[in-house]
Amino acid sequence: MSRKNFYHGAIAGILSALACFVYNKIYLFATEVDFSKVMNAGAIIGANLLACIIASIGFGLFSKWFKSKAEIIFNFSFAILSFASVIIPISISLPLNIKNPELFPGLAVPMHFFPVLSWLTTMPLFRETKK
Amino acid sequence: MKKFIYPAMAALLIVGSAFTFIKSQDWKISDDYSIKFTSEDPSGIFQGLKGTISFDDKDLAASKFDVTIDVSTINTGNGMKNTHAKSEKWLDATKYPTIHFVSSGVAVTASGYEAKGILEFHGVKKDFTMPFTFQNNVFKSSFDINRLDFNVNTAEPAHGASVLKVDISVPVTKG
Repeated sequence: MSRKNFYHGAIAGILSALACFVYNKIYLFATEVDFSKVMNAGAIIGANLLACIIASIGFGLFSKWFKSKAEIIFNFSFAILSFASVIIPISISLPLNIKNPELFPGLAVPMHFFPVLSWLTTMPLFRETKK
Repeated sequence: MKKFIYPAMAALLIVGSAFTFIKSQDWKISDDYSIKFTSEDPSGIFQGLKGTISFDDKDLAASKFDVTIDVSTINTGNGMKNTHAKSEKWLDATKYPTIHFVSSGVAVTASGYEAKGILEFHGVKKDFTMPFTFQNNVFKSSFDINRLDFNVNTAEPAHGASVLKVDISVPVTKG
């Protein structure tokens, strides 16, 4: 993994986590339902950093395997995986002491798209543009 | 002497009637009760327990349970499952908003007590015996219930578990 790839993943992860925090606050304000027992600051930062750094590692591997087609194949794959992952917050069972579990997907599903959004948004900063 | 007969009878009736008010100890349900159901699928809890509990281990004949559970308070931990559970296909919380148990008698058993009575669940009334213990002001009960006995989604007997284990713990204070 190159240094550029690592920084790309780390910065995308931090921005993605920041977006999650903001959305979490908005959702808490709108619904007054607190899911901090299952989604605390550590979990948000960890999950976003992990997703974006794994994406960077994946992009590095795709670049080796698919050469010039790597970017388009990777972008599609990352978007499809993010979309598929929304089944997790929809199907997960929360601890029974948490009220209003039906509101959990409304919080967690959009967050599953933040890493891909952040990673693709910051991609031009870390890739050489072809001339 | 005659003039004292009626006042004396009245006084006797008044004193006698006071004893008719002696009844079993009433208990108030505390907020930290739990009603859990477990099976392979689903598992969860109910909230919204209300009712009256009169219980005196020295006067079981006067003991009585009349309690309801709000069906709409079911929580499986998953919003999608909660919605399905409350739907017409399963518990039909709109049509049958409560689960109701009213006892007709309480007896001592080897492991504690049992309350015999009528359980009304999903619009079906059945004779039901609820075993329970009472220690340190906490009623505890564990029993199995078959949803098919109460016509809950009989169209799909193999969809999820049909027999659910119910564990109830109800701390009480003197009412």
